Amino acid sequence: MAIEHGGFKRKSKIANEIPTSSMADIAFLLLIFFMITTVFRKEQQRPVEFPDAEAMQTVDERRSNIMNIWVEPDGQVFINDQLTPPGQVTPIARQAYIDTDRRLVVSIRGDRDVPYNVINQITEELRDAGALRVNFYTDLEQRVTRARR
Amino acid sequence: MPLIKKKSKVSDEIPTSSMADIAFLLLIFFLVTTIFDRDQGLQVVLPEREDAEVDVPPDNLLFLLVQPNGSIVVRRGESPQTQTITHRQVQGVVRQALQANPEVIAAVQTHPEARYEDMTNVLDGIQLAGARRFVLQQLQE
Repeated sequence: MAIEHGGFKRKSKIANEIPTSSMADIAFLLLIFFMITTVFRKEQQRPVEFPDAEAMQTVDERRSNIMNIWVEPDGQVFINDQLTPPGQVTPIARQAYIDTDRRLVVSIRGDRDVPYNVINQITEELRDAGALRVNFYTDLEQRVTRARR
Repeated sequence: MPLIKKKSKVSDEIPTSSMADIAFLLLIFFLVTTIFDRDQGLQVVLPEREDAEVDVPPDNLLFLLVQPNGSIVVRRGESPQTQTITHRQVQGVVRQALQANPEVIAAVQTHPEARYEDMTNVLDGIQLAGARRFVLQQLQE
């Protein structure tokens, strides 16, 4: 083989490799940073069976702009884990509407067996509050569940 | 005490160099298996309160009256004829009505005692049929 570099071997003391031994530590630090800064929505899951639908879409709005209204099978309404009697939805929705800079989407998470007048009461109160963008939360309809019903 | 020192070739340390890899594999496993609760459903924009009542020609209205037993009574405009269907036929009926008259508005009037699911089933059929204009009301007796 021919003599490389004109016969002079390069004797650099600087390693020409990126040090990879600390990469895992850096990654973990990043991970811990994101874990700490993530704010989870602390809302209790309720024993609600959602209706099924085929035409459902995902809500295209930031999570902080979505307010959930849970309607339990016995007709009790919960907003932010607080039992909300009829007539009290309007002030809460209006405040949320202001807080979200008019971008509020109300997701009604109602049980499939709840009587319609409970839902109607909520939508009418939302109209009073001016919160007009509503999402009726549903699960994706599967053919199997359709045959069972 | 034995005088000969034990020369074991087995290292007495737990190998730590692969620990990070194991931790990352665990992390990736949990990342992949976590299902986030997405907000999904049937989206509706409610009419404003201040909206003036819009006069709609009765011919453009398709009434879908949801009964407490889940059946749906269909009435077109002011015609006295009614037709009782199940929620699976809603999509076909609305699509037909739209083909006959693209200006048609589906008016869903749900009985107060009807189940919420009966209303969402009808709404599902309307949205599947591609109807953009619909009204949600409570059935007045």
